[in-house]
Amino acid sequence: MDPALRAAATGMMAQQTRTQVIANNLANVNTPGFKRSRAQFEDLLYQTVQGTQVLGTSDAFTNPAIQVGRGTRLAAVQRMHMQGAIDQTGRNLDVAIEGDGFFQVQMNNGDVAYTRDGSFGISDQGLLVTSSGQGLMPPIRIPDDVSEITISATGIVSVRRGNDVEPSEVGRIELARFVNPSGMLALGQNLYAPTAASGIPSIGFPSEEGMGRLQQGSLEASNVEIVQEMVEMITAMRAYEINSKAIKTSDEMGQIANNLTR
Amino acid sequence: MTSAAASLAMLERRQQVLANNLANVNTAGFKRELVFAQLVGDAVSSTNTRVDLTEGTLSESSNPLDLAIEGEGFFVVNTANGERHVRGGSFRIDPEGRIVDHSGNPLMGEAGDVTIPPKGIGSITIDGTGLLSADGRQLGRLRVERIAAGASPQHEGGVRFLPDVSREAVPPSERRIKQGFIEESNVNPMDAMTSMLQVLHRFGAAQKTISTLDAVRGIAVNDLGKSV
Repeated sequence: MDPALRAAATGMMAQQTRTQVIANNLANVNTPGFKRSRAQFEDLLYQTVQGTQVLGTSDAFTNPAIQVGRGTRLAAVQRMHMQGAIDQTGRNLDVAIEGDGFFQVQMNNGDVAYTRDGSFGISDQGLLVTSSGQGLMPPIRIPDDVSEITISATGIVSVRRGNDVEPSEVGRIELARFVNPSGMLALGQNLYAPTAASGIPSIGFPSEEGMGRLQQGSLEASNVEIVQEMVEMITAMRAYEINSKAIKTSDEMGQIANNLTR
Repeated sequence: MTSAAASLAMLERRQQVLANNLANVNTAGFKRELVFAQLVGDAVSSTNTRVDLTEGTLSESSNPLDLAIEGEGFFVVNTANGERHVRGGSFRIDPEGRIVDHSGNPLMGEAGDVTIPPKGIGSITIDGTGLLSADGRQLGRLRVERIAAGASPQHEGGVRFLPDVSREAVPPSERRIKQGFIEESNVNPMDAMTSMLQVLHRFGAAQKTISTLDAVRGIAVNDLGKSV
């Protein structure tokens, strides 16, 4: 009875992990630039109790192998880098990426990290920074006598200073894209780090060579859909329940077997 | 009494298989196992398992590398132990640009591995016949194979199957590949639940048979020939 108990237990653990992933998705339903994750499972190795049997002559039937599976395991938690909805905010330092690419920011330890969250601010030194204070790479300095900031779809940041009529360019935002964005490591604070699985970044300007377009005054909303997550949560809960029933049944069978000797 | 004991063993095996099916109720591309009892002489002695290849529900995921096949057929992945069949699933791109499964086994195209150029990640399309293109450029056609109608492939774990000897390529015109869809597990929880209850009750009944037979023998041994 033990294998049945264990198989059912792996099923319960799988559903528990899945619920954790769903809970994190739901917690980030309002996080700009957040990408939902999905837990994926695969079956474990099979015990072949008896190999394929060929019974008698060629026109006789063949018995398939007898196999007993040993349960399930977590194969991957895959992040889904699908475009989130573009939310109009009207704030001139909110920038959404429509399409592929990440903003490059410098972390406190000097490493470059990548983010889709474009809710920028201006630091005390006049640099464009993310909402948690990491500076945009390459750095863009906004002069302090600015009356208007414009960020174009191709990433050109231009400002109008003082009483100027003509805007002047102060920098250009560059984006980075990866062969496999799902392979990046999530660092928290909406930041991602490249890994061997994601490949090395290719850098370019927005709207060029397949990079996304920038949209000023908008933010990319989280791509979590509440209804979808709720449905997933219900199925996870029911699957957890039914696996617990399998454990109970296996246990009762063990009890019955124990009653063979009086 | 042997036949009752054999039936206990068979039911135990069936419960193990049911537990495995239930554990994989959310494993994409999983195919449930069926257990058959076989009558040998007058006792239920051997059990056969068979993979039930019934199609699971296709659910839309809109991830471009989630692939499913409507109807029969398997994709081919190249593992360290040789080619394996998979019903589809969630593929990803490895650093070399190949399309691989969870375990990193590359998906096979008609001309070997399929490699996506680094710039082409934005728009990968795979049409119903398995023709793969990135940014409008055709990169090759995926291999799709089928096995004979009555054949039962062997599970290998990791939702892969050992290809049956009857494998043959499916001509492009007969393929129905769905991009952005995932085939869910074909385990029906309701069905598995009722089977499990059935197993439990039969197990109890077989055990009762054994105890009754034991009691009868006990009477025969101890009470018969006792001086009155």
